[in-house]
Amino acid sequence: MVLETVELLNFRLHRNTKIKFSEKLNYIIGGNGQGKTTILEAIYYLCTSKSLNGSADSEAVNFSEDIFNISGVFRDVVKNEVRVFFSNDTARKEIYVDDKQIYRASALIGKFPFVKLTQSDSSITYGSPSERRRFVDSVISQSNFTYLGFLLEYNKILKQRSALLQRLLEERSSSLYRELDAWTENLVLAGTEIIKHRISFFKEFISYFTPAYGRIIENSELPSIRYDFLGETDPDKIFERFTSAIKESRTDELRRAANLVGPHRDDAVFFINDRDLRKFGSQGQHKSFQIALRFAEFFYLKDKIGKSPVFLMDDIFGDLDAYRAQRISGFMQEIGQGFITLTDFPNFSHLVHNHADLIINVDNGSVNYAA
Amino acid sequence: MELLEPLQKAIEEISKLPSIGKKTAQRLAIFILKSEPEQVENLLSALKDLKTKVKFCEVCFNLSVENKCTICRSQKRDITKICVVEEPSDIFALERTNEYNGLYHVLGGVLSPLSGRGAESLRIRELTERISMGDVKEIILAMNPTTEGEATILYLAKYLRSSNIKISRIARGLPVGGNIEFADQATIGRALLGRSELE
Ligand SMILES: [Zn+2]
Repeated sequence: MVLETVELLNFRLHRNTKIKFSEKLNYIIGGNGQGKTTILEAIYYLCTSKSLNGSADSEAVNFSEDIFNISGVFRDVVKNEVRVFFSNDTARKEIYVDDKQIYRASALIGKFPFVKLTQSDSSITYGSPSERRRFVDSVISQSNFTYLGFLLEYNKILKQRSALLQRLLEERSSSLYRELDAWTENLVLAGTEIIKHRISFFKEFISYFTPAYGRIIENSELPSIRYDFLGETDPDKIFERFTSAIKESRTDELRRAANLVGPHRDDAVFFINDRDLRKFGSQGQHKSFQIALRFAEFFYLKDKIGKSPVFLMDDIFGDLDAYRAQRISGFMQEIGQGFITLTDFPNFSHLVHNHADLIINVDNGSVNYAA
Repeated sequence: MELLEPLQKAIEEISKLPSIGKKTAQRLAIFILKSEPEQVENLLSALKDLKTKVKFCEVCFNLSVENKCTICRSQKRDITKICVVEEPSDIFALERTNEYNGLYHVLGGVLSPLSGRGAESLRIRELTERISMGDVKEIILAMNPTTEGEATILYLAKYLRSSNIKISRIARGLPVGGNIEFADQATIGRALLGRSELE
């Protein structure tokens, strides 16, 4: 899949920006605060209808205007025009694919696949388990709608069950305990599906991840990822394991009125040469790991969806040494279409480039490039 | 321009109806305003009759003009089966299929702790009373495929298990006649996971 063009209207600093992209790499170069990341964000909006860092839609409207509009044309077997429109007056966002309005953001997931590598990826390897779950969930959701459905359902069950546990703090009746049993069974059924999907995901994903890691740093380091549910990795035994664990935690759950067992508390542990990355990894190993995760995600999604995702890379080359910058940009040349922001041009000399690449200069919300 | 008070009042009342926004309410109010007086009278008396003449069936809680609904009064229905549904409107949908000849029981909602609805707010006691009369051999749970519908099915399945009857649920998955190609992918995925062996 290729993003052919994008058009931004009153989107942050960009009052009216039109770009025709290269099918290979697009280097977006500009100083801080000139609006280069905004172009990546616009692409992200087209793929997900959401802002890049979770900021409110209203903040993305140019300060002197009332609406923003982003449109873009994706080309795969057919062309699709995607448009995201937001109005401050109504505080409403509208999403259109080929002029047909889409009412649920989740309906967009997986249609225009993307991979993004940003500075905040450091939280995947350094951060709490929830950051790793977010990574895993976003990869599987993009390639598997059933998983996304289970995830949405599981989260609803968590909310309902916690409301019930709250009520049980104040009032204990046999009827309420029976209700708790029903919600527990519901939780275990949906949760088991999530865990089983995660197990089979990691089993496959590692075969994408190991070679990607080897491409970024050439040495004998062997990365691995361990994922299990309370020590269990056999998909056929998850239901049993979950059922018994939640039975054991019943008193605790009732006392604390909280959901204490399930895939919402899972973690995946990253290793390099069998040493826990989070505890023993060097800064360079963390960085390589984060980058390799995104490349692996790219090739995984490409195989699963049968479409090449667009690759967004925000301000990654700033703190990489020349060796790594060169290897990573060389790797980027193999992926198809990519969008890479750079703060300064001197860095550019380290990077591998191709005559088909496009260099886009961004200055105070306007762009110029050699078409 | 300020709207005339009677018009404004009408629009306000109409827009309280489900899935009617301000704009639609305005259009409907103007339509009624332009209608013949007789036509408006007919609408008013139809609404009045609806409220005064229609009540809940005392057995199954379906909508009914008599104390018992037409289904419960019928001699042709199979009284060994009860299909449990959330709302009376679900009965209309099931009846249209002409595939079911048993009785119904309207639960009056589903479990939802978040909105404060527990088992005590559903007509479960009334259902067990019907079962204890002894004619019922099968209970079919036909809740909507939502998180809350699912929890309600699990609750009822557990709760009714002790009684000596068969408990089944309607299948969740692809609509028949629907093309796999056009079904949404989550539905297909669900249908695959819930597949059954052919004997
Ligand atoms: Zn009845």
